[in-house]
Amino acid sequence: MKREHQEAAAGGDRRGGGGGNWYAAAEQEKGKALMGTDDGVDELLAALGYKVRSSDMADVAQKLEQLEMAMGSSAAANDDALLAHLAFDTVHYNPSDLSNWVDNILSELNAPPPLPQPPPPPPADDPLSLQFDLPPAVTEQYTIGTVDLPDGSPCKPADVDELQPEASTASSGWLISQSGHQPEVAKSLRDRKRLKVCSSPPSSTITADAATAAAAQQVVIVDSQEAGIRLVHALMACAEAVQKENLKAAGAIVKQISVLAASQGGAMRKVAGYFAEALARRIYRPQPPRGMGCSSTVESAALDDMLHHHFYESCPYLKFAHFTANQAILEAFAGFRRVHVVDFGMRQGLQWPALLQALALRQGGPPSFRLTGIGPPQPDNSDALQEVGWKLAQLAKTIRVDFRYRGFVAASLADLDPYMLLGPEADGGGVEDDEPEVVAVNSILELHRLLARPGALEKVLGTIRAVRPVIVTVVEQEANHNGRAFLDRFTEALHYYSTMFDSLEGGASPPAAVEVGGHDQAMAEIYLGRQIYNVVACEGAERTERHETLPQWRARMSRTGFDSVPIGSNAFKQASMLLALFSGGEGYRVEENDGCLTLGWHTRPLIATSAWRAAGDPLSTSASCRTASS
Amino acid sequence: MAGGNEINANESKMAVPLNTWVLISNFKLAYNLLRRPDGTFDRHLAEFLDRKVPANVTPVNGIISFDVLIDRPNNLVARIYRPAPATAAGSIPIFTDLYQPPSYDTFPVIIFFHGGSFAHSSSNSAIYDSLCRRFVSLCDAVVISVNYRRAPEYKYPCAYDDGWAVLKWASAEPWLRSGKEGKLRVFLAGDSSGGNIAHHVAVRAAESGIEIAGNILLNSMFGGNRRTESEQRLDGKYFVTIQDRDWYWKAFLPEGADRDHPACNPFGPNGVRLEGLPFPKSLVIVAGLDLVQDWQLAYAEGLKTAGHFVKVVYREQATIGFYLLPNTNHFYEVMEEIKEFVRFNL
Repeated sequence: MKREHQEAAAGGDRRGGGGGNWYAAAEQEKGKALMGTDDGVDELLAALGYKVRSSDMADVAQKLEQLEMAMGSSAAANDDALLAHLAFDTVHYNPSDLSNWVDNILSELNAPPPLPQPPPPPPADDPLSLQFDLPPAVTEQYTIGTVDLPDGSPCKPADVDELQPEASTASSGWLISQSGHQPEVAKSLRDRKRLKVCSSPPSSTITADAATAAAAQQVVIVDSQEAGIRLVHALMACAEAVQKENLKAAGAIVKQISVLAASQGGAMRKVAGYFAEALARRIYRPQPPRGMGCSSTVESAALDDMLHHHFYESCPYLKFAHFTANQAILEAFAGFRRVHVVDFGMRQGLQWPALLQALALRQGGPPSFRLTGIGPPQPDNSDALQEVGWKLAQLAKTIRVDFRYRGFVAASLADLDPYMLLGPEADGGGVEDDEPEVVAVNSILELHRLLARPGALEKVLGTIRAVRPVIVTVVEQEANHNGRAFLDRFTEALHYYSTMFDSLEGGASPPAAVEVGGHDQAMAEIYLGRQIYNVVACEGAERTERHETLPQWRARMSRTGFDSVPIGSNAFKQASMLLALFSGGEGYRVEENDGCLTLGWHTRPLIATSAWRAAGDPLSTSASCRTASS
Repeated sequence: MAGGNEINANESKMAVPLNTWVLISNFKLAYNLLRRPDGTFDRHLAEFLDRKVPANVTPVNGIISFDVLIDRPNNLVARIYRPAPATAAGSIPIFTDLYQPPSYDTFPVIIFFHGGSFAHSSSNSAIYDSLCRRFVSLCDAVVISVNYRRAPEYKYPCAYDDGWAVLKWASAEPWLRSGKEGKLRVFLAGDSSGGNIAHHVAVRAAESGIEIAGNILLNSMFGGNRRTESEQRLDGKYFVTIQDRDWYWKAFLPEGADRDHPACNPFGPNGVRLEGLPFPKSLVIVAGLDLVQDWQLAYAEGLKTAGHFVKVVYREQATIGFYLLPNTNHFYEVMEEIKEFVRFNL
């Protein structure tokens, strides 16, 4: 409830004349500006993206002054090293939380600067050597490259040394690895920073805004030509008719759409094609819904994986997802000797070679690494889950990381129980039984499916909490495709997939793989097309593509007892730099959003990575503090 | 000047409300981290720190926004703000609605160039999204915010070229025309570097026969080789230093150019003569605590000398960025000036 402001009533018309309403509103605003609000956050700054409590304002101002004097005097003393340290080496988190952001810089100022270290020796003939090195000034603590997963059928461990990874045609991921000279002090400082940032009070006010924030509907118009607009108009008219259950009219319009679509080119034609097809399925669908996109069958699981892989290759969204999630996992695992990752969607394990490599190069040596991969039932009794595990084991052996793997088949994540994920090893039955095992739970585009069955998501989030992970990485499509009204879902999806398809056209894979690139793109379009069919033509338990926005996910996670772990500027920078590798990559944009990172096409975010830990969990908290004390 | 910093903080703190001081000081701190002594810019950190907001076709206070890709090869995007189209209550405007004229009467189209000294901010920066929405309700206008290419990666004349491209695009859009003659009634507006861009796009428009109804320059960015009295007097006192101004000019201007380059100093020794050109009327807003004011006032004089109409609004106690937060008389009174100027010249 907001306080009344006497200023507003007294405002009146200074100039008389037109616009009186506007002026009165302005006066009211001014009154609010002067008095702040009941929930404590300065409203005017909040409107500009900064969350500062009115009661903290003077304190923040004082810290800013302190910083200014310190930086001013160092500039005067020509202390370039200090300024450079603040600018280059500091990892920033969540700039919206202004108070903590300023605190972080102040603490960097007061901490001893990092000792100069010799650069790591160049990895000359290492087959997994980094293929892409950045100049030292921008690497901070990580260098970037690509790493290939060994291909071919599983072989006996003795044959591992004969593997020729360069000859493989398997996929390559974005590699993260420590350059090995990040001083312990700076690292513990960073952990304390992130902890502090997580528990800061202003972030708890996010949940109140989530519902309203979720309503923002983004439109990027890439084709403002007359014909394109008529096509969209026809699609919308058809969807409206469907919503009104006027199926006869809808059917008539859907026929017109294919005529209109034929006159279009590029992305718009393809998108219109998929949406028209989806509408047709909805209009003429057999009862119960059947066919591609609706019920996921055992047969479709293998097809899904194949299409997913092509989507992975054709555009940077999944690589971004893996990269940023790995970054958060790596930071959370710092200082631990036994680590365990639970992957909710194992598929072909594309995310894990890069993490293995990063762990191998970790200062102090790699931890003992355990991976639990979850996957759906496969046809032909084939054991895709185990095969992937085998390949990763081979890779781990070459880079000398102690690796254990277990695959779990589950038709739904809701079928999992905590004991399955923890297993006997967690009790410390292994050699290093004095070392606790810490767990990371990783979910890439999986959680939204659970919204199709009531209670499923809550069960899964409960399972995650029971496992007591040090970090939970969540990547989801940044869109609201789960609204109650069909027309709203349709409109949202139309904007979202139009932008997606446009990015596939504009940001095609590097020219070196032109032939493969074209094939990848076509398969990626089919992959996305299946999502479109699901959003538009399916309902109930079959409609699994229930994407929701970052504010909506934040609200859910927060409600279920998770705190946000902000992803920092180091991950942001490196993700941005890697995007430059995609030709046509100029259209891709990484954005920071209240501790989360999004990747989008031009100004429209399309995928979001967030990281979480259990709120108030002493294990999680002490885990992050561990490096400070050791 | 070590002791000088403390005095400066107190002076500037007395000149603005506390939350404004925090906002602008925060920018100052961030910008100091981004500018490297060797002239390069930490673009990734800049994008990380910048607070952005999405476009939104769901009406907020009766205003919607959407992004348009104006030029694909340059990734030139502009954000369009307009009064919400008259669709059925509760439903989301569809594409065709977006391109309907907002009214049957004449309405202004304001092409806005955001500030940031040619290097910072974007059309989707929160501070500029907020300002553009305000212009829509203030003037019943369609506002087009240009996401121009920035220095140091893109030097002169890229920002001007992008502004020109958007002006040409707007001239070709039927739904932006209004009134009996069915013509585009366009104003060019900008703050800081955006004001500078507005001037140069207006020159190009005047040379090409595109009619501009008016220019609105808010604390616009001009300069020159010599150090003016206001620069020396106010150096470092109200958030801005001569040193940072020099850095941004060096980043924007061509290699080897100095600040008497016509982009920086349009009425200096290398300036283009504007006599006889159909240059628009100008509203030049100057903050009395802005160290660039002598250049802004010289600019206004230059326009007058060339025979063009200028109204100068001088706010003696205002600092840079006063128009970012609606918490001072400067803000409200200057908004009124803008509103009147647009209404009068529509």
